[in-house]
Amino acid sequence: MAETFEPKIVSFLCNWCSYAGADLAGTSRIEYPQNIRIIRVPCSGRVDPLFVVKAFLDGADGVMVLGCHPGDCHYQQGNYHAQRRYLVMHKLMDFIGVESDRLYIDWVSASEGKRFAEVVTNFTQRVRKIGPLVIIRDPHALEVKLDEVTA
Amino acid sequence: MKFISYKTRDQWVKNLSAKARVVAPVDSKGKIIYKQINSADEAVWNFEKTDLPAKTWYFPMTEPILYIEQGKQTKLTEAPVPSPVVMFGVRPCDARSGLILDELFIGKPPIDRQYANHRETLTMIGLACSEMWETCFCTAVGGAPDSHDGLDILLTEVEGGYALEVLTEKGNKAIDGVAIEEKDLKIPEATLREGLPVVRNSKEWSTLFNDLYWKELSNSCISCRACAFVCPTCRCYDVRDELVTIKPGVKNYERLRAWDTCTMAGYRRIAGGHNPRETTEKRLRNRFYCKFMYYPEDFGPIACIGCGRCIEVCPVGINIQEIIAQVDHLLDTAAVKA
Amino acid sequence: MTKMDEGIRAAARQLLEESKVSAVIGYELADKGRVRPVVIERTEDVDRLIWNEDCNLNLVNYLHQRKMPAGKDQPIPKTALVIRPCDVRAVNLLISEQQIKRENLKIIGIQCAGTRINKKARITCSFCQERIPVDYDVLIESDKPIEIPTESDGFADIQEMEHWTAEERLAYWTEEFDRCIRCYACRQACPGCYCFECVAEQVDSHWTSIAMKVPEKMFFHVMRAYHLAGRCVLCGACEAACPMNIPLSKLNRKVARDILESFGYKTGDDPKHAPLLACFDPNERLHI
Repeated sequence: MAETFEPKIVSFLCNWCSYAGADLAGTSRIEYPQNIRIIRVPCSGRVDPLFVVKAFLDGADGVMVLGCHPGDCHYQQGNYHAQRRYLVMHKLMDFIGVESDRLYIDWVSASEGKRFAEVVTNFTQRVRKIGPLVIIRDPHALEVKLDEVTA
Repeated sequence: MKFISYKTRDQWVKNLSAKARVVAPVDSKGKIIYKQINSADEAVWNFEKTDLPAKTWYFPMTEPILYIEQGKQTKLTEAPVPSPVVMFGVRPCDARSGLILDELFIGKPPIDRQYANHRETLTMIGLACSEMWETCFCTAVGGAPDSHDGLDILLTEVEGGYALEVLTEKGNKAIDGVAIEEKDLKIPEATLREGLPVVRNSKEWSTLFNDLYWKELSNSCISCRACAFVCPTCRCYDVRDELVTIKPGVKNYERLRAWDTCTMAGYRRIAGGHNPRETTEKRLRNRFYCKFMYYPEDFGPIACIGCGRCIEVCPVGINIQEIIAQVDHLLDTAAVKA
Repeated sequence: MTKMDEGIRAAARQLLEESKVSAVIGYELADKGRVRPVVIERTEDVDRLIWNEDCNLNLVNYLHQRKMPAGKDQPIPKTALVIRPCDVRAVNLLISEQQIKRENLKIIGIQCAGTRINKKARITCSFCQERIPVDYDVLIESDKPIEIPTESDGFADIQEMEHWTAEERLAYWTEEFDRCIRCYACRQACPGCYCFECVAEQVDSHWTSIAMKVPEKMFFHVMRAYHLAGRCVLCGACEAACPMNIPLSKLNRKVARDILESFGYKTGDDPKHAPLLACFDPNERLHI
């Protein structure tokens, strides 16, 4: 049987909305793909876009940042800042060669357990279709070095 | 005189790449950099200077010196001895820089084992310069376009190929099986540059340490690392333990050695925040004193081979030849006054 | 000596003689017909100042070395700069970020016919619509006729790259960054990069290792382009300074174009404008 590619997806969830939404999906026994690795942050405004860059360069195939709906941020303004930052970073990552479909920014509230599961399922499917992201460490290495073998 | 044709050279590269890593200058979007090749047509054989020095292959920009596995117990593995490297197209000045750095790294104990391993497994096949180019001044610092220092073989381009001189036992091993011809050859003399500045000795440099010239010179320096990173004799480095992977119960680190330079603002900053070389003036002055005073006093040779790469890359046009000339002038003026 | 050289020298001489500034920072001729920055502190050195199309660094960068008092109980030094219209925008940026005060600066502004990098005209220059600085104390008129293009298409190469596949773009940048030697000349030449300890060198917040591998170098350049979002003035000093001829400005111009399209914002119009990514409009809903 052929092995299907299972993407590694890093997901930044804000504590007050999207993380609670994920919790609700769990307590409601709604299934969603296990590919996501969740990192809980206080607010989507805490997610420095450089975390996203680092995630991609360190091996993630897809990254999600889910925050509160605009107007509902627990800290009033965090998601407004996130909005502007991610508009810039999304296009910049695409320009570098990380397809725009690999980075997903959305707003999921604490009561949207079912929606959380849908978002994760759709995004995982989307990244699975694109394929793995391959960042080459050393383009001209003709000899495999020991560190690449142990890593 | 020994002679090899271009065809023989290409065959030689092919034979060598079966048993060693063959490295030669490669054109990388206009920049000439030493890279590993599989066949001679990947390399450039007509060039002035490479943009990065040969030093990158025996003192790499970054290299692991230790592998650390941290689990229930800590396991340490030393970096392996590198597999043999044969380097083509090494300019005589670059080969001299190897000898200059050897004084520091392996001249007296403690020996830098990593560096020593690289030097032992490296064979340098030189390419003599037909002329001294515009930013070159090797003859002012004890070098020459056809110098043998530090090379295992020297190739000089002649009609149809190269005159070949074997200089060391390593060189002898490298030509094993190569179809060398004997020919009556006249080796062309390189065109030298006239009017080069005179490099004064380290004792004389010490008398100018507090001169106002260094402040004026440093006004335009932006404290980047470009000059030091293209320099064949710069040798300062930083060491950090970097995490490579985390698996359940096990963390893998590598202890990385990476090039660093005294020109950077934070280079000499110590815990607590004190920085003896806080100003650009002190840092830039240190760069030239290290080359022309400290290194000769500690190890013997001047830490400059006159390649002029720093002159080519400096974004703000700081020119080491001008500085040498100005030091010469300041010392003469001081002598006249005295 | 051109008329521009004359004008610059006259302005510099007057400013120094009247002690309005303690230094004039401009350009002088170096070897091989190149130019390099020079700090003129005495009137007798004023004749070293010149201007030509190779004057491609951003001299506003030097204000970071001259924005603190010269010593205890001493005032902040006053400086004059010989700068292009794009460079002047960096002045407004630094004022808006409270790094410098306008009263400590005299701007000898150049009416710019365009500058070049490695003898090739800059794309941004070829399509620049703004040849006179938004602010200046003395204006040095161009000695060449300036033709301003009617269409602004300074982003054509960016648009072309956007039509490639993502793999092609990744392969392109992997090859470009492979040449990078992390000398940080780009960062050091940029007036917008003045952090005391750059993210790329921090140890306690360990963003990137010191290794010379493509992912680390890619992180540095993407990080720098992102930290300059809404702050880059497109002066090209980074690309001029790069010893490996990496087309760095493509990243910055991509970000600047996206910001221009999404917000109609251009850095450095007005020193009173707050930095774009530091503020927000609660009514905006952006499609990311």
